[in-house]
Amino acid sequence: MKRAVLSGDFKKLRKELSKILPLLEQDPKWHVSVFAEKRASCVYSADLRKTNVSDNMVMGAVLRVYNGYTLFEEAVDDLSIENFQKSAKELVTRVKNSQSKGQYRPYKTLSWKERLKTKLDPEISSQIPENPGAGTEVHFGISYVQDPAIVTADQRLQKLKDTLVKVQDLALKAGLKKEDITFVVAREGFGFEESIYIDRESNISQAIYRQSFTVVIMSGEHRVFHRVGGLGGREIIDETKDKDLLDCLKDLKGLQNAGRLKPGRYRVVFGPDVTGVLAHEAFGHSQEGDTCARGRSQAWELYKSGEKAGNQHATIINNPAIYRDGTHSFAAWGSYFFDEEGWLAAEHVLIEEGKLEVPMTNFTSALRLGISRTANGKRESFANGVYTRQTNTYFKAGKETLEELLSKIDYGFLAMASAGGMEDPKGMGIQVGIAYLEEVKNGKLTGKIFRGPAGGDIQMTGYTPDVLNSIIGVSKVECETADPDHAAYPFNKAGGCGKYHKELVVAGCGGPYLLLDQVILG
Amino acid sequence: MEQLKDILSRRSEIKGWMIQVENIHRRERYFLLDKNEIATDQDREVKQQNIRLRIFVNKKDPARQGEAEKMIKFSLPLEEQVDSAVRSALETDIQKWELPAKLDVMLPKLKTADLKMLENLDKVMQDLTEQIYSVALKKRDVIFNSAELFLSVHDYETHLSNGLTHHSNRTKIFAEAAFSTLLAKRSDEYLEYRWASGLKELSIDELFNEAAERARFTSLVVKKPESGSYFVLVDSAVLDLLMHDYLTQLSGGSKYLKLPFIEVGQELIKGAEGDLINLKLDPYLDYGADTTAISPDGLLQKPMDVVRDNRVLETLSGKQYSDYLNKQPTTVRGNLVMPPGKYSRDQLISLQPKILEVLQFSALFTDPYSGTFSSEIRLGRIFDREKGTVEYIKGGSLSGSIFANFKNVRFSDKLVTRSTFSPGMSASGESASGYFGPEYALLADVSVVG
Repeated sequence: MKRAVLSGDFKKLRKELSKILPLLEQDPKWHVSVFAEKRASCVYSADLRKTNVSDNMVMGAVLRVYNGYTLFEEAVDDLSIENFQKSAKELVTRVKNSQSKGQYRPYKTLSWKERLKTKLDPEISSQIPENPGAGTEVHFGISYVQDPAIVTADQRLQKLKDTLVKVQDLALKAGLKKEDITFVVAREGFGFEESIYIDRESNISQAIYRQSFTVVIMSGEHRVFHRVGGLGGREIIDETKDKDLLDCLKDLKGLQNAGRLKPGRYRVVFGPDVTGVLAHEAFGHSQEGDTCARGRSQAWELYKSGEKAGNQHATIINNPAIYRDGTHSFAAWGSYFFDEEGWLAAEHVLIEEGKLEVPMTNFTSALRLGISRTANGKRESFANGVYTRQTNTYFKAGKETLEELLSKIDYGFLAMASAGGMEDPKGMGIQVGIAYLEEVKNGKLTGKIFRGPAGGDIQMTGYTPDVLNSIIGVSKVECETADPDHAAYPFNKAGGCGKYHKELVVAGCGGPYLLLDQVILG
Repeated sequence: MEQLKDILSRRSEIKGWMIQVENIHRRERYFLLDKNEIATDQDREVKQQNIRLRIFVNKKDPARQGEAEKMIKFSLPLEEQVDSAVRSALETDIQKWELPAKLDVMLPKLKTADLKMLENLDKVMQDLTEQIYSVALKKRDVIFNSAELFLSVHDYETHLSNGLTHHSNRTKIFAEAAFSTLLAKRSDEYLEYRWASGLKELSIDELFNEAAERARFTSLVVKKPESGSYFVLVDSAVLDLLMHDYLTQLSGGSKYLKLPFIEVGQELIKGAEGDLINLKLDPYLDYGADTTAISPDGLLQKPMDVVRDNRVLETLSGKQYSDYLNKQPTTVRGNLVMPPGKYSRDQLISLQPKILEVLQFSALFTDPYSGTFSSEIRLGRIFDREKGTVEYIKGGSLSGSIFANFKNVRFSDKLVTRSTFSPGMSASGESASGYFGPEYALLADVSVVG
């Protein structure tokens, strides 16, 4: 098995960054650290009229000082030693001139011995050398089978053009005419992300390949899409099968004659994408430590009181350490080895059978709430601040097959296509967007597609604990068969997340199928 | 920059290029309540430079060309970066178009940046911080939870292969405040946020007072709305989002790509009978979020009427799509301007026996191609004239369509200015939308499920 390594630039930068720490350590009570990242990504696209390549790169470093009251950061993209020295001086002056308000909460930098007390995934522990110390350079690289970095632009664009042809061919099989397909775009995203975190006790780095493949197909105003993504080798791109495209095209055909949903309460099976949004928006966002520390989440009160917020089916997990997504050989979209504040990735249960557990945290929220840190300190880029953010959030899988879940519906729907969502951490409302629904009658899919009452997306709304109490069935990961699951984790799709109306980050979104009763759809 | 230009001009494959440089200086503070004091959770400073290069290369087929975009770093070897962009461009295939000739007119001098922020960003941060300390701890019957304040100064340079060089700047502010109230069984909150182009557009006092007042409203919520069809009063944030989104159907790109498109001469809203919509793009308005003298491809931007009395007068095409569609290029950037309606807010509320005013949507999702929109209602109130009551509601979802719900729209007589800057991780960076239009609109026959 091969693993991604740091680029030459970042190997050199790592040496320079180590020299910055002493400049920041002007007070022994301060906790200081340095984080640097480079995210190089390229999007290749082909539609019916053109092909395109767009290259993006975000590269910078963040110098950090925590003085017991406030986390101060200086984020720069000039990575010269001269600029680091100047920036460090400015940052120290800013810290010294600051007003200290609120409670003093000191932080002791964790040694490797303390770090290794946590249960770590073998993918992480196997990459840590024996007896690491403050000066040990520890590197984590994503594993891959086919090297994605050696694939040429020509090869990538050719695959995209082939996909366009395939879509047009398959359209006929789906009952569409060629002219019904008014727009198709196929996109491949390839990213190489590397980062370094250094404090007085650790010096860690990671290198990750991120890949996605998206197809959007339109017929007039109607739109369907297919997306696959993960971390690892070129094998990720090969996950898109003809059946996936054909299923999309059948939905597109259905959308041409879609019915309008009569608003009301229904029994519904949520597919993995929609289940993922539900988990993310429910406990999910409410279980983000910074939101709790700001006094903005009801989950913190429910956790302290022990009041249940869901039934026995409501177990939601956040896990940045999924290195085998479902039955795939590659890692889930929202995974990494450590977060952007240097905390090693590990599974964290957010709610177990309806009972809330401690929230996930970033550095400052863990201190403010007086709870353990988790690996959820993420930022949009080095230029943005750290918040508590989700990685891969999903419901724990159950034991039923999809067929068994559908058989429990007399009249209702299957919701496979997600269309965003929104949390309401304090008021406990929830919104889960569904692009369209497929009708279920007497336990069988009818093939009839429904859109929202006005012809657009459907919104599932409700009071979060009510929604989590309405779950009446949970599928296995490998839900097509009654055989025991081989996969340790459910499939997580490639998704994104905004927080407080901005701050976009990647997030894995998925889970098993869920059967819910009396769901409000409108 | 000169070295990069020199490398680009020496490459024979390259037929043209565009360089956008953005230098950013940002200050950020996150505040929260800590032991009855307003503490600063994070205090950040950011210095960043983004350089976006777009190149065009010749292909064997004279009717086609290649194109690629790349983020350039001056700290990395330039020759290698240009090589990589050229290699990518040569692999692509797109219909040929030509960059415009260099502008030979004097560009207008526009007001785009707040002078105080340009002068001393740290001082403005400190002044606003003091205001937050003062207003957040004002004695109220709701609790202050948290606030964020982001200030930034952006210097832009545009360099085109046709010789055009243009400098501009912009200032941006993001501020938010969250207050909560303790209900009998559980608490609820209200988060209010605003973008602004400068200090004149943002009042910290108003933002905090409104967030606090609306947090108090959450304690008055008695139920979800009843399912049915409503007249719905929405504010300028919703109008801004919907109208900007709907402009997609007037873009030359949509026509070229065979996406839903409304032709010149057609009605914007078929069969409209209420206040007829007038839309203008004005890139010259003082401190508008999208105030700019030129487009990214180097064309002079001028105020342009887009829709008059619900009839499309002009569609939007930059040089690329104008070449493809064989028409003259038009303004593509600018603030969206809509004239006022005839009614005050109170009059709008009294136009119908029962009105649902949405104070905040949870997340309004829109589809520019179908013209539909939907969201959970985070907070609203129902004015019932016959009963003489005002009931606060929360929850349930609303789904609408521009085609159906704007047929009988009524706009308010008060105009407001809004700036919205959407962050983005893409190479094309942020997008900005400026809105100068009515503060409220009353929509008809909107479906709500409780």
